[in-house]
Amino acid sequence: MQAIADQLNTIAGLRCFAWPPGTVTPPAAVVGYPERCTFDETYGRGMDLLTVPVVVIVGPPYQRQARAAFSAYTAGSGASSVKAVLESGTYTAFDAVRVASWDQDVYRLAGVDYLAAIFELQIGGKGT
Amino acid sequence: MAFQHGKDTYVSLDGDDLSAYVDSSDFEQSADVSKLTTYGKDSHVYGGGTKDATFKMSGTYDNTAGTGPRAVIQPLIGTTVELVRRIEGTGSGLPQDTVDVVVKKYTESSPAADYVKWTCECQCSDDVDSTAQSA
Repeated sequence: MQAIADQLNTIAGLRCFAWPPGTVTPPAAVVGYPERCTFDETYGRGMDLLTVPVVVIVGPPYQRQARAAFSAYTAGSGASSVKAVLESGTYTAFDAVRVASWDQDVYRLAGVDYLAAIFELQIGGKGT
Repeated sequence: MAFQHGKDTYVSLDGDDLSAYVDSSDFEQSADVSKLTTYGKDSHVYGGGTKDATFKMSGTYDNTAGTGPRAVIQPLIGTTVELVRRIEGTGSGLPQDTVDVVVKKYTESSPAADYVKWTCECQCSDDVDSTAQSA
């Protein structure tokens, strides 16, 4: 989770958290706890697979800037693309990460609605 | 007697442990069957002949230099090397099959939305040594 947050931190202006914090100030990315782990994808603890969510909160949905930021973060390429930035990283904690999908949602923080994208990361690496 | 999970299976080819890159393997042993039916019989009679065996394995591609499936298997295509398979894993008294194989085919598959996979097919040559593992 830390490695993912560190890589996301290379996106200019995006505050990144390696675990869910008590509160966030958008735009922010929060690496959630793994939703699923599949052990023993190969013999001898050779490979495990993790599904990890990353929530990117941008701003109130009625703001034009929020829409623009949402588009940039969810794009398939570009300097602010979560997919492009994460998949271009070099990691030692695992072998490979693929940003498989995102879903749009609205999060309510301190009484304010915020546009958010929930990314699904598929991470593979050697079992320990 | 107990069911055995496949996750501990060990496979090596030409002395290289490939287990960590393999997710499935099949070791098929067979024999020729000859028809020996003679006049006067109402049912066919068969006899066993020469034994044969094939081995297939597949798994997830890994580009680790020297030990990954591509690095190990690709140079062995067309050569005869030793295959060792321990279906219940490594341990004293556990079963083991050792046999020379001709590495017949190595295939890499690259789906857009999944990890790169590979398969390997081998033709076994000569007898299979099924002596259990020693201490």
